[in-house]
Amino acid sequence: MAITQITSGPPVPQPRVSRRMLLKGSAAAAVSLGVAALPSARGAAGEQPTSDTPSGPFRKGRVIDCHAHLSHRSRATWEADDCKLIEAADMLGIDQLCCSTLTLRRPATADGFRECNQWTTDGMRRFPGRILGYCYVNPGYGREALEEIRRCVEERGFIGIKLYNEYTCTEPVVFPIVELAIELGVPILQHASHFHYFVEDQPRLSDGGHLAELARRYPEAMLICAHISGGGDWEWTIKALRHAQNVLLDTSGSVTDEGTVELAAAVVGVDRLLFGCDSSMTAGVGKIRGANLSAPDKENILSGNIMRLLRRRKS
Amino acid sequence: MIVDVNAYLGHFAFRRLRHNTVASLLALMDSKRIDKAVVSSASAITYRNAQAGNEEVAEEVRAHSDRLISFAVINPFYAGWQDDLKICHEEFGMAGLRLYPKWHNYQLSSACCRELVNAASERGMVISIPIRVEDNRQRSWLLNVPDVLLEEIVELVKAHPKARFILLNGIGYTGCPLGRKDNGLPSNYAMELSRLSAVLANELGQLITNLGAERVMFGTGMPFNYPDPALLKLEVLDASESDKEKIRSQNAMTWLRL
Repeated sequence: MAITQITSGPPVPQPRVSRRMLLKGSAAAAVSLGVAALPSARGAAGEQPTSDTPSGPFRKGRVIDCHAHLSHRSRATWEADDCKLIEAADMLGIDQLCCSTLTLRRPATADGFRECNQWTTDGMRRFPGRILGYCYVNPGYGREALEEIRRCVEERGFIGIKLYNEYTCTEPVVFPIVELAIELGVPILQHASHFHYFVEDQPRLSDGGHLAELARRYPEAMLICAHISGGGDWEWTIKALRHAQNVLLDTSGSVTDEGTVELAAAVVGVDRLLFGCDSSMTAGVGKIRGANLSAPDKENILSGNIMRLLRRRKS
Repeated sequence: MIVDVNAYLGHFAFRRLRHNTVASLLALMDSKRIDKAVVSSASAITYRNAQAGNEEVAEEVRAHSDRLISFAVINPFYAGWQDDLKICHEEFGMAGLRLYPKWHNYQLSSACCRELVNAASERGMVISIPIRVEDNRQRSWLLNVPDVLLEEIVELVKAHPKARFILLNGIGYTGCPLGRKDNGLPSNYAMELSRLSAVLANELGQLITNLGAERVMFGTGMPFNYPDPALLKLEVLDASESDKEKIRSQNAMTWLRL
């Protein structure tokens, strides 16, 4: 399914705050006041921050949240919660949300992830043009996982694959998933965190180092390191991924540490950053709004980079 | 007018901070149209002798007291805290305290802490308590400092009904008596919004409904945090303009007598 086809849909509630207001570049003001900025990878090419004018990039640009979730339907309020997600996106000027639905308990069973993906499909139908689906699987189910991915991507129009913590992403059981993602031309959003302590309930947690290793094994794969702002030591993660050119970093998470986005841009380049919220909506939008980057750089983070990624699908 | 009750100057031991000098913080405030900010020493969080951090802040803020309101970091288990409190209040003009019971390894219920709260309250100082400094998941391998338990705050506000507390960097108030309606607690505490949700769960809206807009204050946590997420919360908050104005500045100005 082409992205251009999924932008149309029924009328949606009018945003109470304009996207331009919410995502306006702060960089121009910061520069004029002499606030020091980390260099952006593209800033060196001579791009300057632009002012918040009606012709600024966020009026015409789309905003895509690369990391979102629909509610598990065991929650009595799942339907209202999903509506709240869309309402929040409306308020914050987010046009589309790339969503997965996760099982409540992991490791997920095959029936469990198939049920979740069916709910994601339903969500795409309930909110046409707003929800883009990630197919969530547990790689341990081998053939069933591969069949589910193929069904979701080829028949249901899902845009990518979501892997959680059932296996570390460098374990061989994950390789067939990556090879199928390459065949289909879709990205993998990998749950990842780096803590300086052992996490007992996530013994097979992946981190930026694992993703870099996987990226070396599969340089043609499109990998996304999830929530750098909710995955422990973000400075470690950014540095671990410096040389992994086919890994993009998702800025989502509840942590709003000043300088995160600028450091990521300086180390890996803005072309490898994707805007995301992971349910921390004002944190997600606020970080990008506050980052001292040029307006074109922000536009790429907000949608340009993921649009380029999604255009690489082969079916 | 926007008053930020949650800002800092100086260095933090585990991460480089930008905008952490008076000049750069004021420039950041100007760019975000934040008029005034309550600041304390980030360095004092890990200095053994926190008073050295207070001295640094006092020196920096002296020429900018129209915009920066300084608070003292006091460890009630450190020698000479009574002298430090007197100097901070009388010589430095500091209007309140920031307490770090977990970082400084004491109990809010301890006799020394209670003595400090009483002494500061007698001076009319406001006592702010950051529930956390940063997200504990990104902690250094050197230490593991837990968040302050909200249950401990409940006991503190009950024990000191005449004191005034501002709770910073907190979340989950509606899950405990602090954020519930008719909770039987004195109205001597306010909650700062930097970590509160304004959409989805909308804890911010729930707190306004349960306790009134008078009990919420604007804060960013800058320069630890981007100020923008907190500003954004005010923009999308479903509340009357008069309630937003209370949160934006009026409550802080009343408490701080600005």
